Amino acid sequence: MNRKAFLSTVVPLASMATAFTNDKNPEKKFASKKIPPYLKKGDLIGITCPSGHISAEETQSAINKMNEWGFKICTDDTVGAVDFTFAGTDDERADGLQKMLDDPEIKAIMLGRGGYGAIRIIDKIDFTKFIKRPKWIIGFSDATVFHCHINHNFGIATLHSKMCNSFPDDFSLAEQTQIDSIDSIRQCLVGEKMKYLTGLNECNRYGDAIGPLVGGNLSIIQMLDGSISDLHTEGKILFIEDVDEYPYKIDGMLWNLKRSKRLDRLKGLIIGEFRMKPDDPGEVFGLNLYEMVMEKVKEYQYPVCFDFPVGHVKENYALKCGMEHKLSVTAGGTALECIG
Amino acid sequence: MYWIIVELLNCFIKIYMIIIPPYLKPGDTIGLVCPSGYMPAEKYQTCIETLTEWGFKVVVGKTPGHQFHYFAGTDKERLNDLQHMMNNKKINTILCARGGYGMGRIIDKLDFSKFKHHPKWIIGFSDITVLHCHLFSNYNIASLHAPMAAAFNDGEFKNEYIQSLHEAMLGQKADYKTEGNILDQPGKAKGILVGGNLSLLVNVIGTPSDVKTKNKILFIEEVGEYIYAVDRMMYQLKRSGKLDNLKGLIIGRFSDMKDTSIPFGKTVEDAIKDLVKEYNYPVCFGFPVSHDKENYALKIGVKYKLIVDKGFVEVREV
Repeated sequence: MNRKAFLSTVVPLASMATAFTNDKNPEKKFASKKIPPYLKKGDLIGITCPSGHISAEETQSAINKMNEWGFKICTDDTVGAVDFTFAGTDDERADGLQKMLDDPEIKAIMLGRGGYGAIRIIDKIDFTKFIKRPKWIIGFSDATVFHCHINHNFGIATLHSKMCNSFPDDFSLAEQTQIDSIDSIRQCLVGEKMKYLTGLNECNRYGDAIGPLVGGNLSIIQMLDGSISDLHTEGKILFIEDVDEYPYKIDGMLWNLKRSKRLDRLKGLIIGEFRMKPDDPGEVFGLNLYEMVMEKVKEYQYPVCFDFPVGHVKENYALKCGMEHKLSVTAGGTALECIG
Repeated sequence: MYWIIVELLNCFIKIYMIIIPPYLKPGDTIGLVCPSGYMPAEKYQTCIETLTEWGFKVVVGKTPGHQFHYFAGTDKERLNDLQHMMNNKKINTILCARGGYGMGRIIDKLDFSKFKHHPKWIIGFSDITVLHCHLFSNYNIASLHAPMAAAFNDGEFKNEYIQSLHEAMLGQKADYKTEGNILDQPGKAKGILVGGNLSLLVNVIGTPSDVKTKNKILFIEEVGEYIYAVDRMMYQLKRSGKLDNLKGLIIGRFSDMKDTSIPFGKTVEDAIKDLVKEYNYPVCFGFPVSHDKENYALKIGVKYKLIVDKGFVEVREV
């Protein structure tokens, strides 16, 4: 596929969308998607690190950029904190996130980085106040834990996108796709209707689909199996991405998705970037990503698109998890539009 | 009326009766297959010689020595070879020569309709964990978690672990006594043993091969993973409720663990200890079940007694 065929990134389509609607029928609260209020200039975004550690300097670029967007920024003690690989102990990280979730002044929370650690604290978090007063949770990779947990259990939308550590130190040296990816966070946060267009991949399966968008990092999705944060895919458009795994591991995780019946009733499937580890010498796996995916979904009819710009790469556009999307995979390329 | 009784009886059998395949007698035939990764022929010769010396006949299937990229044949070839060995009445037991990866690709295509009426011991570990779990959770059939062909090489065919495989095949009841570990949580438990390779135990969660662990003794082992990845898998076991109602927990060896450039900060054993210390059931660490040579044969689906005492661990078949 021709990478450059990715068209002008995003097409903001009019109108600030309606803010979070009050829930008059608590019976249906999990069915009706709650959209956290979109941000206005002057709103406060909190930065916290529930997973791996990041230094204060490394968050500076994100802080500057978001200030430029007109938002105020606050950080907590987990930024710069180090407990081996983690940004502080489990209790410190849980406490950091909890305070930001509960603080009514903070309108959105951007995670410092991924890494590992969200699973260790998710069950310590009390979402009571967050459910009453949702706010955007922003991040990807290890943050898939929060996306899955929050989308499914509370029906609240979250933002799968780059985090502090993915903001370049010098925007003037950054590639346009990276700049666009970062700007898509702003566009999502202020409520612009997002539509992403990407080029044709010859392995795509054509079709149209409408459904809530769910997904994230494949390894994390598997890790949530059987737990309260488990990913539910029926009637949904699923997107997956992963990095630094052997092809055989990816294949095993795709079988896990299939065997746990999470590929059979999808509306559509979006395959993001998979920068896999090379096979060990003498252990060439023999199947590429397209083959691995298509052999598992060949009996279904829904659209499948490859090379969607989401993942551990520079082109990683912001996606609103839990919100209704329209996916259109045609000979002209792929379009993914948020219609929620 | 009659059919109701039959149904109830079947139901009862399904719930309570574990099917123990017939043990081997000298002269019986062992089928050697590779349902997962490729294994070159020279790697399983000592195994064949040893099995022959033990008085068994060995039939080598089409997959050992055969190669399709990473695998010991295409999915179809591996499936057919294993299926043939399972259905062939002249084969008394099946030894998987190697693990690797691939069982998950063929498991749902296996036909157990004949096998469940004429079960035989299926021997292996690592990737074979998928089949062990599947047999137990769907058909209540016991299977043997034990060393595979490569473990016989380099003069190891006489070691006590290979010996334990031989004894298990013959139906002798195992009684393994090992030294304790400082992390052990003492206690006594009796229960059906389930378990295997941690990566695969979590990989089958939510699938038809998933194993219920309630009231069981669970054992786990792992090789070549990052410490954080093991921690993550342990969190998955815990969060999916697999650790809640165990009778006992046997932590095997975690071989060749890797760490990230920024260290995880704990050994893999300490990380596991943190997650299991809240439970009251007995837990032992470093039990000889592993990808190293220390790998006692353990019968999945069979009742064992686990005794964890000060400086002493015993795993005894009941």
